[in-house]
Amino acid sequence: MSDRNFFLSPKASKARLREAEQARRNRQEIIKANSQGQVSRRDLIKMGLFTSAGLLIPIGGLSPFARSAFADSNIPTGLPPSPLLNNTTAFSTPMPRFDVFPRIPVASLTPAPTAESNQTQQPVDPALGGGTGPIEGRPPGPIWAHQQFGLLPPAIAVDASVEGAKTNNTYNPAVPSTQNSGINPANPIPFKFHPNLPTQTAVKAWTYNGTIPPKLMQVRYGEPVLFRLHNRLPAQQNQNGGFGIHTISTHEHNGHHGAENDGFTGAYFFPNQFYDYHYPIVLAGRNSINTTATDIMASSPTDAGGLNKVPGDWHETMSTHWFHDHMFSFTAQNVYKGIAGMFNIYSGLDRGAEDIVDGVNLRLPSGRASASGKSWGNLDYDVNLMIADKAWDAAGQLAMDIFEFDGFLGDRMTVNLTYKPFFEVERRKYRFRILNASVSRFFKIALSDGSPMIQIGNDGNLLPHPVTLTQLDEQGIAERYDIVIDFSRYSVGQTVWMVNLAEHQDGKRVSKDLSLSEALSNTSQDPCVGKFLEFRIVRNPAQPDISQVPATLIPNPDLSNIPVAHERTFEFNSGANQTTNDPITTFFGPWGIKTDNQGPTLAADFGRISAAPKFGTREVWTLRNGGGGWDHPIHIHFEECQTLSRDGSVSKVPAWEKGRKDVWRLRPSGEVKITLQFRDFGGMFMEHCHNTMHEDNAMLLRWEIDGAGTPFLNPLPTPIPKPQGVTFMAPDDILPTAFYD
Amino acid sequence: MNTQLNIKTRRWLFSPNVVTLLIGIVVVLVLGGPSTQAQTTSTAPAGTVDSSITLVAKGSLTDATGFITITGDVPVTGRQVIDTTNAATVTLMLLDIDFSQVQGTSGKKVFVTGGNHATEIRPFQATDKVIVTVPYYDSTKDGLSAKSMLATVTLNFDITTGKLTSGSVTIGNNVVTADAVGTTPVAIQ
Repeated sequence: MSDRNFFLSPKASKARLREAEQARRNRQEIIKANSQGQVSRRDLIKMGLFTSAGLLIPIGGLSPFARSAFADSNIPTGLPPSPLLNNTTAFSTPMPRFDVFPRIPVASLTPAPTAESNQTQQPVDPALGGGTGPIEGRPPGPIWAHQQFGLLPPAIAVDASVEGAKTNNTYNPAVPSTQNSGINPANPIPFKFHPNLPTQTAVKAWTYNGTIPPKLMQVRYGEPVLFRLHNRLPAQQNQNGGFGIHTISTHEHNGHHGAENDGFTGAYFFPNQFYDYHYPIVLAGRNSINTTATDIMASSPTDAGGLNKVPGDWHETMSTHWFHDHMFSFTAQNVYKGIAGMFNIYSGLDRGAEDIVDGVNLRLPSGRASASGKSWGNLDYDVNLMIADKAWDAAGQLAMDIFEFDGFLGDRMTVNLTYKPFFEVERRKYRFRILNASVSRFFKIALSDGSPMIQIGNDGNLLPHPVTLTQLDEQGIAERYDIVIDFSRYSVGQTVWMVNLAEHQDGKRVSKDLSLSEALSNTSQDPCVGKFLEFRIVRNPAQPDISQVPATLIPNPDLSNIPVAHERTFEFNSGANQTTNDPITTFFGPWGIKTDNQGPTLAADFGRISAAPKFGTREVWTLRNGGGGWDHPIHIHFEECQTLSRDGSVSKVPAWEKGRKDVWRLRPSGEVKITLQFRDFGGMFMEHCHNTMHEDNAMLLRWEIDGAGTPFLNPLPTPIPKPQGVTFMAPDDILPTAFYD
Repeated sequence: MNTQLNIKTRRWLFSPNVVTLLIGIVVVLVLGGPSTQAQTTSTAPAGTVDSSITLVAKGSLTDATGFITITGDVPVTGRQVIDTTNAATVTLMLLDIDFSQVQGTSGKKVFVTGGNHATEIRPFQATDKVIVTVPYYDSTKDGLSAKSMLATVTLNFDITTGKLTSGSVTIGNNVVTADAVGTTPVAIQ
């Protein structure tokens, strides 16, 4: 393989490692100044540190790809490896299950949630400009009011915060410790990536509720949720540990709800404010299909073990979401700091109780209602895995390098924010909901013995049919793969590992998919290749495994009678231009998107409307990778899509992509054609690369559904958030093909 | 506000190009009728070379069932990708190796792969050996009963044109298994 690699080998010379550490410190100084608002990207360009396209000039002692003074060839400086302090070893600590958010009565929220943003005034911290401002950061007025709030009033609430790292004293894995590798949830959990590693400081790591393990929200159809999120980050922008920003916006990826709840990148809010997100948890098509809720397949589990019929198309049933920060130009940094959780949606079909036989329940591995007393949402054998690469500095504190516009790679694999853990399993089937929560890294997962796995879901959706695989396809950032592993093939006392086969040399794309034996050989220069999660088969199940993987899961919605109203093309390129200059809504490349083959590739401006599909229509969108040197996992918000073709061919859509999706790896020079509908709700949404370094720099665009009726305008005004209150301005750009009639 | 917001839209809507576009859309909608499937194109983008070849899998393996003979066509499609913006970028070969037609037989038993494909990103080279595990299971059962076999796919390319020229697929027992299941927790740094 090439000698160009992102991280230096621990065996590199001391001089090389010192040089790399010095380069990292130098960069961190600039990152810190940039993230704290002391210097802008424009200033950095003027200083000659960036090209006008936004690329870091390869200056020795600064860029990791500048030629090393100690190298005898064109070897880049590289980053120093994250130290495994205190003899930290892989597979020596248990993987914690997610920490389940308490579901509380809506009436317990103070103040009570309101359809329009609560603009009650409060003092604003002097660090944020002083004066007074609203307690809720959601933009005010009817356009940002919760859509259909009266029709779909919240039935339960989740009250949470984003704050700096602290000890978790309230861990609730919602499973007995026997299903959590023996972890006693009563014990306080300090914020560490491994017990031997240092506790993360409150400025370095930010998460939901400020704690680990990452949080899980369990919801079910027909039960709208009010997610009240408090911003408890420091008012001082420089209290960020050198990266990350204290303004936040949470995207429930990929919720079907009004745009005011979508975590729009420009609808961020400030410390000491809250934002009420209203997640109605409805099936898409609720206003046009099965509107009277007569189809039992479109249903939600009741607490008594029955089914509650709901409106909408049951073929649109979703299962595995996640939620994460979506702050404009800072998503990579904020998510990397830990602002990410997972979101399981339960339905009659996928109810999380494998022993309920009602003709609707697919009975996927989860747990028994008869054993737990929970008629839905059993997690015993239904396990969320958040996989992400991280890096830390010489002191063991989380570190990031935002200069890597190709994409940032960590050199340490974590699962559920724990460095290379183990997980104890029984000899039976388990479902794993695998989320790639990295900044830029793609994974390709296999079991260490090449044993088969059954893929049942892709992104938020169960597939039409399960697919048997011995290695999963590459998994891009934000993609979710639901798989079933049957551990009954192993004996008690055996161990088997999850292995990453995808080798990176930089954050642009995978450089090579390795064979299993190559990945296990420890010869790759990519430290995140190889084993990363150990399964320990510890016992036989106390009761027989009655879970199933039916041959048919959820067939795709039938779109054959829905005309295509319009087709659009989005090409994802480097070398973007910025044609607007609003200091709040615009950002610079190098990345950008060209829409409908018109004009230049444009860098992000959340004040620009690039597409405006008409409410109630269906469109076909082509997503094209404009180059062969990189890959882009492209995410479209709002409603799940169907993949029509890859590289112009229907037959190139693999079996595991034949269901609905919301993120597509375009592959180098590749193209994906998809179809999607615009219904039920309106407002401004986004489309972007989910390599979040690309997204932030600035491969993101705004599209919106207008014409959904009062109060929606055409086009919508852009929110400009300030601690003293959100103002609005007219869109500063509207592409010619955005509105087509 | 509505009026103010629509100023730019109106200006664009009545520009000659947009008017032409709108007329075109109306014509398409009126004459074309409802479309249910997108048209697809097989035109390869700049910097890419598409090629394909069908190989024949040969081999055998032994498991608890007994001796299983493996055969079947393996269509392989490749796309050579050159980064036209950066000559220093390693040229890639994107591979799709289709094992769906591969079958095994042992007496009257038939084994299938469940429509399995292997998708791989590899650096482009004259000859590449891709070693992948492939599931197989009794055709009367489902994928939960699957085991894995090892496929060694050797592919030869014309380095001038970037196209697939020849190759072979050899099937055997999954020998990775022997090394990759532990019996006790092992600490690996």
